[in-house]
Amino acid sequence: MPCERKPMRYGHSEGHTEVCFDDSGKFIVTCGNDGDVRIWESLDDDDPKFITVGEKAFSLALRNGKLVTASSNNTVQIHTFPDGDPDGILTRFTTNATHVTFNSSGSRVAAGSSDFMVKVVDVSDSSQQKTLRGHEAPVLSVAFDPKDDFLASASCDGSVVVWNIEEQTQAISWPLLQKTNDVSNAKSLCRLSWQPGTGKFLAVPVEMKVHLYERGSWDHVSNLSDDLLTQPINVVAWSPCGRFLAAGSVGGSMTVWDVNSKVCVERQKHEKGFTVCSLSWNPSGSQIAYTDTEGCLGMLDGFSSSTTDTNKVPVKKTAKDYDDLFDDDDDRLMDEGLSDTNSPVKKPVAADDDDDDDFLMPATGRVRNRGAILDDENSLDTGSLRLGQDKFGDDDDAGSTVEPTAAPLVPLRPVYEGPMPTPPQRAFQPGSTPAHLTHRFMMWNSVGIVRGYNDELDNAIDVEFHDSAVHHAMHLTNSLGHTMADLSQEAVLLACPSTDELASKLQCLHFSSWDTNKEWMVDLPQGEDVKALCLGQGWAAVATNTLMLRMFSIGGVQREIFSLPGPVVCMSGHGEQLLIVYHRATGFDGDQALGVQLLQFSRRRRQIINGEPLPLSHKSHLSWLGFTAEGTPCYVDSDGVVRMLNRTLGNTWTPVCNTRETCKSKSDHYWVVGVHENPQQLRCIPCKGSRFPPTLPRPAVAILPFKLPLCQTSTEKGQMEEQFWRSALFHNHYSFLSSSGYEINEDGQNQSQKEQQELLMKMFALSCKLEREFRCVELAELMTQNVVTLAIKYASRSRRMVLAQRLSEIALEKANQIQEEEREEEEPEYSSYRRTSGYDQTEVSGGRYSSSRYNQEEEEEEQGGEEEEEEDGQEMETEEAAETKRRVNPFAKEAASPVTPSLTPIGKVGRANPFKVLGSGKPSSSSGQPRVTNILDNMTSSKKSTPLSGSAGKQNKTPVLKPLAPRPKTKTQATLLQMTGNKTSNKKAQENTEPAADQKQPDAPPPASPAENTENKRPKTGFQLWLEENRKNIIADNPDLEETEIIKEAMGKFRTLSAEERLSWTERAKGQSGDAADVKKRKRAEGGEDVENKNENTEADENSAKKKKSLDPSSKLSVFAFNKN
Amino acid sequence: MDPSEVEFLAEKEMVKIIPNFSLDKIYLIGGDLGPFNPGLPVDVPVWLALNLKQRQKCRIVPPEWMDVEKLEEMRELERKEDTFTPVPSPYYMELTKLLLNHASDNIPKADEIRTLVKDIWDTRIAKLRLSADSFISQQEAHAKLDNLTLMEINTIRSLLLDSLNCMFKLRSNLQPGSSKGQFMDY
Repeated sequence: MPCERKPMRYGHSEGHTEVCFDDSGKFIVTCGNDGDVRIWESLDDDDPKFITVGEKAFSLALRNGKLVTASSNNTVQIHTFPDGDPDGILTRFTTNATHVTFNSSGSRVAAGSSDFMVKVVDVSDSSQQKTLRGHEAPVLSVAFDPKDDFLASASCDGSVVVWNIEEQTQAISWPLLQKTNDVSNAKSLCRLSWQPGTGKFLAVPVEMKVHLYERGSWDHVSNLSDDLLTQPINVVAWSPCGRFLAAGSVGGSMTVWDVNSKVCVERQKHEKGFTVCSLSWNPSGSQIAYTDTEGCLGMLDGFSSSTTDTNKVPVKKTAKDYDDLFDDDDDRLMDEGLSDTNSPVKKPVAADDDDDDDFLMPATGRVRNRGAILDDENSLDTGSLRLGQDKFGDDDDAGSTVEPTAAPLVPLRPVYEGPMPTPPQRAFQPGSTPAHLTHRFMMWNSVGIVRGYNDELDNAIDVEFHDSAVHHAMHLTNSLGHTMADLSQEAVLLACPSTDELASKLQCLHFSSWDTNKEWMVDLPQGEDVKALCLGQGWAAVATNTLMLRMFSIGGVQREIFSLPGPVVCMSGHGEQLLIVYHRATGFDGDQALGVQLLQFSRRRRQIINGEPLPLSHKSHLSWLGFTAEGTPCYVDSDGVVRMLNRTLGNTWTPVCNTRETCKSKSDHYWVVGVHENPQQLRCIPCKGSRFPPTLPRPAVAILPFKLPLCQTSTEKGQMEEQFWRSALFHNHYSFLSSSGYEINEDGQNQSQKEQQELLMKMFALSCKLEREFRCVELAELMTQNVVTLAIKYASRSRRMVLAQRLSEIALEKANQIQEEEREEEEPEYSSYRRTSGYDQTEVSGGRYSSSRYNQEEEEEEQGGEEEEEEDGQEMETEEAAETKRRVNPFAKEAASPVTPSLTPIGKVGRANPFKVLGSGKPSSSSGQPRVTNILDNMTSSKKSTPLSGSAGKQNKTPVLKPLAPRPKTKTQATLLQMTGNKTSNKKAQENTEPAADQKQPDAPPPASPAENTENKRPKTGFQLWLEENRKNIIADNPDLEETEIIKEAMGKFRTLSAEERLSWTERAKGQSGDAADVKKRKRAEGGEDVENKNENTEADENSAKKKKSLDPSSKLSVFAFNKN
Repeated sequence: MDPSEVEFLAEKEMVKIIPNFSLDKIYLIGGDLGPFNPGLPVDVPVWLALNLKQRQKCRIVPPEWMDVEKLEEMRELERKEDTFTPVPSPYYMELTKLLLNHASDNIPKADEIRTLVKDIWDTRIAKLRLSADSFISQQEAHAKLDNLTLMEINTIRSLLLDSLNCMFKLRSNLQPGSSKGQFMDY
C-alpha cells in the first residue's frame, strides 16, 4: 500500500523516545531523554510547546486532557493537556517506571516499573490503586484490555502475563522472551497491544514475529511475520479500527499487517535504520507516528484510504468529520472502534456484528456512567483526601466539567441525551493548595500561613504568623499525616484522614491557652473522616463524610453536633459565625449545585442563611470561601468572581470583583487570601500560569480593588453609581456589627455616609446638568435631609424651580419623618428645644460673641457663602472648576482626626501627624477619595461630637436645633467670628483653663447623652433655621395663617432670599451640627492655609483683632497639648 | 562627598517590605509611612526597612530590577554599548550593597546578583576611566556623560578634579618657558 514516509526530524536528545497522538489526532505528543514532553501541531511544527516533566521521561500516555508521564524521579505524574500544568503525582515506585498506559476510557492508568511491580491507578483518585506483583524482573510494558478486565504485561524475566485486574491475580503467563536483568539490556521493549474495541486479540512481539493470543481462552491463535524482518520487533500497535497491526523493529523496519488476512500490507524502513522504539496511530487511522532511539520523530502518512475497502472510506470519513465537529475532546479511540464496528466492512470480520454493536453501545454508556459514579463516590465517601484538587487543578476543571458536557455529544448516541451530571467538586480547605503537592500551603489566611512539606527528607508542618506578636513560628513533624489545617489567633487545627489502622484524627494546638497543656487531640468514630474544618472565636467545627458537623470548644470540649443536608464542600468561621457550603444536589452541564448555611452562635443562636443555593458562575466551582475581616461572608468561584453577602438586601450575594479581569494572560489567576471591607481590599496572590502559588519563592500578596459590575462604568454616571453602591455595600457591616453588639468605628461609618452623600450629590448635579429632573428627585430620595437642602440650593441656583419645589417637599417629608421618629422615642420636643436653645448659647460662647453669631447671616452671604458654595460646589465641580482650587474646607478635617477618639482596637487615638499641613493646594481636582472625606464633614459630624463630649466639655455637645426665637437681621458681623469664638472656648476647655466658663450660660442643662444622641442625628436644615428665626415675623405679617400655610409662606420667602443667603443658612445648619468637629478643624486650618479663609480672617481681625491674636499661639500649641494627653 | 554620604542619600529610596507587626500610619517629616499590616507589602525607605529587618520585624521584597535575568540583560547591554546605559535605579550599587548585606536571606540568588551588579559596576567604571583618560589626553575643555549615578561620579570626582588641577598647574608653569613655541603655534 502506498504510504508516504515523511522525513524524520529531531525531537529529543538521544535516548528512548515515545510518541502518541492526542485524542483528537491534532497533536503529536512525544517525550524523551531530555525530560521534556513536546506537543507538535504537525511534523513541521518548528516551535512545539513543551512541558518539562523531569530529568528524563521514560514513557507517556495521553487521554482526556490528562498527560501521564513516567519520569526519572520514580514517579508517575499527571499534567494537564495541552496546558501542561502539573496535576500531581499519580503513583510512585522505588525505581523508575518503564511504561505507562491508559485504559480505553481514560479512567485508569497502568504503570510498570523496574521494581518488578505493575500498578493500576485511578486517575481521579490516586489512592485507588491496585498493585500486581509477580514479575521477577523489571517490567517492560503494560497494556490494558479494552474492556478493562485484564491487563497484560511483559517483563525482563521473560514472561508475558495477563492479569485479572480486579482480583490482582495472574490469568495466564507465557514464558516467551529472553531473560535479561534490565530494560536497557532487553533485546526488545516488547510493547504489547490489545486489539481495540472488542479486545479479541492480544498482540505480543516475540523475536521477529507477532503472536496473537485470543482473549478469554488465551490460546495462541496465529503469528504475524514477514520475511523481510530480520531484527526483533520492538513495538506493536493496533490501528484504531482494530484491523491493522503495525510493528516496529530494532532494525528500523516498520511493517503493517492486515490481521484478518495476515498479509503484510505495508513495509517501511527507517531512513537511518535506527531502532523504532514507539509507534502510534493517529485516531483517524491515517497516520502512524514513530520515534527512534536517537530521539527523532517520523511519520507514515496516507494509510486509511488505501488500506481500507473503498466503500469503507466514506463511512470513516463521515464519522471522522462528525467527530471533528463535535467531539474533539472526547474519547477518540473508542469512537473509532465503534464507528468501525458499525461500518459495513467490518461485517465479515466480526461475525456477530449485531451482538457487538448491542454490546458495545451500552458498554460505552456504562463506562462513562461508571466513571461519573466512581468520581462521585470518591469525592463523597472514600477515605482518600485529595482536598482542593478539584478546586485548583486546571485539568480537574477539564476533568470535572468538560468531560461530562462533551459526553452527550458522542456521535453514537447512547441512551440518554439530556444534560449530563457534573461530578461534584471535592471538599477543600479555602486558602490551601492541592494536597498532592509535596510542598504546599495547607492554609493561608489573615492570621498566618500553614505550610506542609511531604518529601523524602521530611514530613512536617510549618506554622508562621503574619503578625509575630500573635505567636512565634512553629515547626511540627507531621507524623499523623495531616492534610487539612486552619489557623486562628487562638489555635491551629489540624486533621488527617483515616488509614487502615488509624481513625481520622483532629489535632488542635491551642497556643493561646493559659494553662500548660497547649494541645488536644480527638479521634473520630470508625468510618468517619474529616472532610473540612474551620476555627472561629472559641470554637472549632469539623465536617465529616457522614454528613455530620461536630463542634468543639477551642479547649477541646465537644459541643453541638448536627447533620448537614449534603456532603460538605468547605467551611469557614469568623467570630461567632459559621459558614458551610455543601452539595445541595447533583449539578448538570458543568454547574455545581451548592447550598450554603450561615449560622451564628452568639447569645441568640440562629441560622441566618438556611440552605439557600449558592450562586456560582456558569461551569465553575467554588474556589475560596471565607469572611471579610469585618465578618461578611464572601466567596470566590473558579471564574474569579468574588461575591459578598448583602445583608441589607435579604442576604443576597453581590458580585464585587472579577479577579480574572485584572489578569494579564488567560492562564494567570489570583489566589485569594483575604477580603477587607474597610479599607476596601481584596488580598490575593498573583499566580502566573497557575491557579495557586508555589511555596517557593515566597509569594507576595497583592491588593486588588473592588468593582461592582454595573453597566457603563466608563461613563461618569456609571462610575459614580458604582462608587455609591459599592460604598453602600461595603459599609453594611457597620449595621451588622452594631446590631450584633460589637463596637464599631463610628468615624468610619460617618465617613462612609459622607462619601455616599457626596456621591449622591455629584450624581444629582450630573443629572441636573443633563436636564434629568425626575432622576434628580429619585436621587434626592436617597439623600439625607441635610443633603437634600444642599440639593435644593443647587437646583434653585441653577434656576430649576420645579425641581427645587419637589425637593423641598422631599426635604419636608424627611424632616417630618425625623420628627415622628423623635416622637416615637417619646422625647418631648418642647424640652429638647429648650435644651438646645440653651446649648446654642453655650456653643456660641455666650455674651461676647453671641451677637456676632446671631448676625452672621449677612457675612456668610459674602464670605461664608463662598465656603458654603464650595461644599456643594464639589458636586458641581464639573462646571465650577474654579472652585476646585479652594477645595480645602475650613471645616474639613482628616478622617483620622487627631481629636476624635476611635472605638476600634487599632485606634487612632492621639495619633496625629504633627507635620501634616492641610495645604490649600493639596487636594487636586481629580482626587475623589480624599476630598470626599474632607468635604462632607460638615454635613454629618453629629456623631463625632458624641465621643468628643467626654474630653472637650459641654460645648461640644453640639445641639442641632436652633432656638425658636427670631433674630434681628443686623448683617454686620463676620462669620469667622463665631467660629473663632467657638474655637477659643473649645480650646480653653481642652486646656482645662475654663476661661469660657463665665461665658457659658450658667443654667445650661447638663448633657443628657441619650437625648443628645438622638438629636444629633437629625440636624436641621437651613430652611428650618430660617423658619425658626422668622416665624414670628411671618405670623405678625399674616396672623390668620394656618401652620402649614405658614410654612408655605415661609418657603416662598425663603426662596426669595438670594442664593448666598440661603447657602449661609444651610451653612449654619451644618455649622451647628458639626460645630464640635468644626472647631477642631478650624484649629488645624488656622495654621497656615485656606485661601478662602483669608477674607474672613481679615474681617475677623478687624472685629476682634486683639482676642484673636492672643488666642492664636495657644491654638497652635493646643494641638500639641492635646497630643501629649 | 563621602561614599557614606551617597549611601545615606540612597537610604531614602523606597523599598517594599512585608512587616510582621501591626502599626498605624506613622507620620514623619519626610512623609507618612504605613499603615503596617502584617503580611501585607508596604513601601518604606531603605533605612527603615533595614532597621526593621535587623530587628526581625519584616521581610524585604527585593526591588524589581534585582533579578538575575534582568541584571544579566543589563550587563550584556552595558558591555555592548560604548556609552553608559540607563541603570535600573540611581542608587543601584548602594541598594544592592545594603540589601544584600542585611537581607540576603530575603533575596533569591543573592550571590549571583552581587556578582552581576559588581560586573555592571566594573564595566561602567572602566568606561568612566576610559572617557576620563581620553578627556585628559585630548585636552578637552568639557565633556558630557549621561546616565551616571551619583556614586560613580563620586568615585572619580576627587581624583579627576585634583589631577586636572594639578595638570593645569603643571601646564601653566610650563607656559612661560614654552611661550615662544606657543606663539609660534598660533
